[in-house]
Amino acid sequence: MALVDLELDLDVFAGPFDLLLTLILREEVDLLEVDLADVVITYIDHLERRGDLDLEAATEFLVLIAALLELKSRLLLPGEEIEEIELDPGEAAEELLARLLDAHRYRAAAAHLRDRLEREAGSRFRSAPPPPALRKARLDDARAVYDPQLLQGSITELLVVPPPVDLRHVTIAKVTVAERLVHLRRLLARGRFSFDEAVASADRVTVAVTLYALLELHKQGEATWIQDQPFAEITVERITRTTTTSMPGANRLSA
Amino acid sequence: MSVVTAELERTVEALLFLSPDPVAAPALADATGAELHEVVRALESLREHYEFERRGLVVRQLAGGFTLSTHPETEAAARRLLSRPRTPPLTPAQAETLAIVAYLQPVSRPEIARIRGVSAESAATTLLERGLIEESGRSQFGAVLYRTTDLFLKLFGLDRLDELPAIEGFDPPPELESELRDRLLRAGEARAGGPGAAAASTDGVSAVNGNGTAPHPPAEADRSSAEHPA
Repeated sequence: MALVDLELDLDVFAGPFDLLLTLILREEVDLLEVDLADVVITYIDHLERRGDLDLEAATEFLVLIAALLELKSRLLLPGEEIEEIELDPGEAAEELLARLLDAHRYRAAAAHLRDRLEREAGSRFRSAPPPPALRKARLDDARAVYDPQLLQGSITELLVVPPPVDLRHVTIAKVTVAERLVHLRRLLARGRFSFDEAVASADRVTVAVTLYALLELHKQGEATWIQDQPFAEITVERITRTTTTSMPGANRLSA
Repeated sequence: MSVVTAELERTVEALLFLSPDPVAAPALADATGAELHEVVRALESLREHYEFERRGLVVRQLAGGFTLSTHPETEAAARRLLSRPRTPPLTPAQAETLAIVAYLQPVSRPEIARIRGVSAESAATTLLERGLIEESGRSQFGAVLYRTTDLFLKLFGLDRLDELPAIEGFDPPPELESELRDRLLRAGEARAGGPGAAAASTDGVSAVNGNGTAPHPPAEADRSSAEHPA
């Protein structure tokens, strides 16, 4: 439905909606006296009679009626404009006078500036800037090209220490002499044991560290060992405090 | 004058020759490695030398720094050598707009228009193009604010903004003010539909000019609109 077809019959106006709009805009009809609810009701009646909904026309109507509502609500509210009109003539005159005096002042200042410019006309300056390559970079120039905020954001990201890489999934054989000493001393508590027993199912590093711990035990005077021939089984024994044991040769220890 | 000062004077002269914009004394001190007071003395000495020897150049203190300019007496020859005067003169509208910006900066275009009573659109645009004013942020209502530039100071022979005469110096004479007030009041009474509506606040003036029939001299407001048609 085109909006021109919408015929209104209101208290203050009878005729097409378009004409009402024109008259309101020309201020020939006072918007304050137009009952906008009646316009809406007429439109809805009209729609019902037609039975179908032309979206374009409906949208147009919504926009127009919304604008009218806003206009009317502003007219209803006491605004600044109305207050200004209500200034008493004395106040209005003072306000206007202040403006006139201001305008007068700045016109005089303008005349001063024009005189000044004329007086200075004989002073000419070198105005060619040095070629860009020779110019010293200034902070302002850099700012024009690089947004400080952006730079700050970028550097901030770079300065954050990243979380350490998680290596828990990588098995690192960690075995200490101290651990192996504890282990050997526990075995030694039985009196004697074989070295193979001490490193049963251990990896190469553990075997090496265990051997090192064994040497440590010997140094402390706690244990000694016997190996009948190269590559034979090593039997580790607790040293009895009173016995003096001969130092076993290092070459006899070939694990 | 010591040898050191003479040497510094030479160097400072060379630096001023190289710089298209006024150079501040501290910047000269940095570049020469001399103390600030030595630089100031060297500049003063250079200025005197130019003056006593009647050179074609003058040392000027402008826009917060020092710069060389031609001597005004050379202008006639410069005009013949070059195609145009240094700075085209300002139109009244441009000069008023510039004056308002110079005194009230930072100031928005609507504010300028309010004071002038006419739009400042094209005047402000021209001043921007000529580099005399520049944008300086936005007001709380989103209007662009303007301030004057260093070029303004340079071209108007100012070192700092506060070298401009105080705005109060441009106050209209008291006679004009009372005359304006009186005319406005009468106009107000006429609109309000009767005399006496605004009598209370202006007894003195009303008493003198109470008849309301004196021939009106051309109104200040009329003159402004005649000079700058919107």
